[in-house]
Amino acid sequence: MREVVVLGVGMTRFGKHPDKGLKELGTEAIWNAVEDANIPPKDIPIIYVANAMGQQLTELRGTIAQHVVSHAGFMGMPVINVENACSGGSTALRSCILEVASGNYDVAMAVGVEKMCIADTARSAAAMAFGTILGKFGFMFVGLYAMNLRRLMEKYGLTREHFAKVVVKNTKNGALNPYAQFRQPRTMEEILNSRVVSDPLTLLMCSTMADGGAAAIVTTRDKAAKYSSKTPITIAACELVSGTPTSADAVHVPIETRASRQAYEKAGVGPEDIDVVECHDAMAPAELLIYEELGLCGEGEAGRWIDEGKTEINGVVAVNPSGGLASKGHPVSATGLAQISEIVWQLRGEAGERQVPNAKIGMTENAGGWVMDDNAACAITILKK
Amino acid sequence: METKLGDKFEGKKRVPVEEGLFHQPQATGEEPYLIAAKCKKCGFTDFPGTPVCPRCVEPGTMEEAHIGKKGKLETFSIVRSALPGFTSPSIQSYVKLEEGPVIWSLITGVEPSEDALKIGMDLELVISKVRDDEDGNEIISYQYQPVKGS
Repeated sequence: MREVVVLGVGMTRFGKHPDKGLKELGTEAIWNAVEDANIPPKDIPIIYVANAMGQQLTELRGTIAQHVVSHAGFMGMPVINVENACSGGSTALRSCILEVASGNYDVAMAVGVEKMCIADTARSAAAMAFGTILGKFGFMFVGLYAMNLRRLMEKYGLTREHFAKVVVKNTKNGALNPYAQFRQPRTMEEILNSRVVSDPLTLLMCSTMADGGAAAIVTTRDKAAKYSSKTPITIAACELVSGTPTSADAVHVPIETRASRQAYEKAGVGPEDIDVVECHDAMAPAELLIYEELGLCGEGEAGRWIDEGKTEINGVVAVNPSGGLASKGHPVSATGLAQISEIVWQLRGEAGERQVPNAKIGMTENAGGWVMDDNAACAITILKK
Repeated sequence: METKLGDKFEGKKRVPVEEGLFHQPQATGEEPYLIAAKCKKCGFTDFPGTPVCPRCVEPGTMEEAHIGKKGKLETFSIVRSALPGFTSPSIQSYVKLEEGPVIWSLITGVEPSEDALKIGMDLELVISKVRDDEDGNEIISYQYQPVKGS
């Protein structure tokens, strides 16, 4: 297998885009990535496009990938549709990496695009919930996150204040991110006093629906030097797993832990080597669970970590310098590639005011869906300067 | 909102949220149960039941199992947001069943307040209404309620 690098990334601003549909959002993300990669567009021989909700929420009823890329001017090459709930973007990237690593192609482009802010957003909410059969019972993803966080409160004595601190950190970061949906830093009081959505979670702890697109172009190290003078970012690992059965007679290893262990092994690094992480905090306090699941902190240490500011931009390991899902917005299939974009900018030193000092190794964690009491998918990508 | 035997609603039908998930008592003295599947080989039990054991991955090892009459509250949230047609607030939970599996369920028969719900409290299975559908039918499902006096 050949070593694969990220040549270019690009995204749209996340948020409400009433004047843009999937085709327009995808086109903007694609051309931002093409420009960043400095690659002649005709040198891109294969494209994978992730979308989860277009068939339910837009007028497009199939082959959304081809509709999107042809709008951007790309026709003739193999174009593959990817759906893997919120993990779709990373799943598309993984396939692109394999195309290049295997020698099948020298360049590949991954795109993630989602349109959720439609006239009747109740339909968007239903489309999310009915991704699992529990939708029929009134299941809400926010309730699932809330229940997992309550377990953490019971087990380690974590409090609502710990949860709010994560939001304080992430909204401070998000305020510095021009691509973020919400750019207002929030105080502890505002967060704790906002409406309870699903206790212990309040409104300001939760991500919202958004429209958006993101893209990444990958190639080999040699080819990268030919196209661009920017630092090529090595993909040290991009591991995808699905959920496992839960049972009373066996310890259930969290999906994030399984995926990250696999990724650390492949990349030849450990959690202590990671400088910057973009993680899937669809409800911001879930970061605390993820610190432990990724091995960043030890068991029961997440509360102390947020208290001591260890995951701030200037901390031991910066987590969600982009602002995370709750600040950035969560257009589900675009999220994974937006995480990749952020880590690439951080490792190149292009992240402006939210730059993590001296970042050399970064990681993304992108989980999605809910099937038989585990996430449907989880992808971990480790990138190196 | 517990179902009483012999309830009749003029023009209203009681429709299970999904077929094959639970048994609704048909006669006095009968109790409801969940229709799960248990692996004859490794004992893995899942609900809703699947035809192939995900641990053994061999055909023909799963058999129907009737479980879930009792359980304990493992974690919960009072969800104050709902999809159209569903009521808010709802109590969403994970229930650890006597037989081992931990399942997602709505909680009923108790005030949606943090004071009324205690992790570890004893729960019992009931078949009751989740919502009314667009045609005015009652959509019924398995749910759990606190055991009185626990």
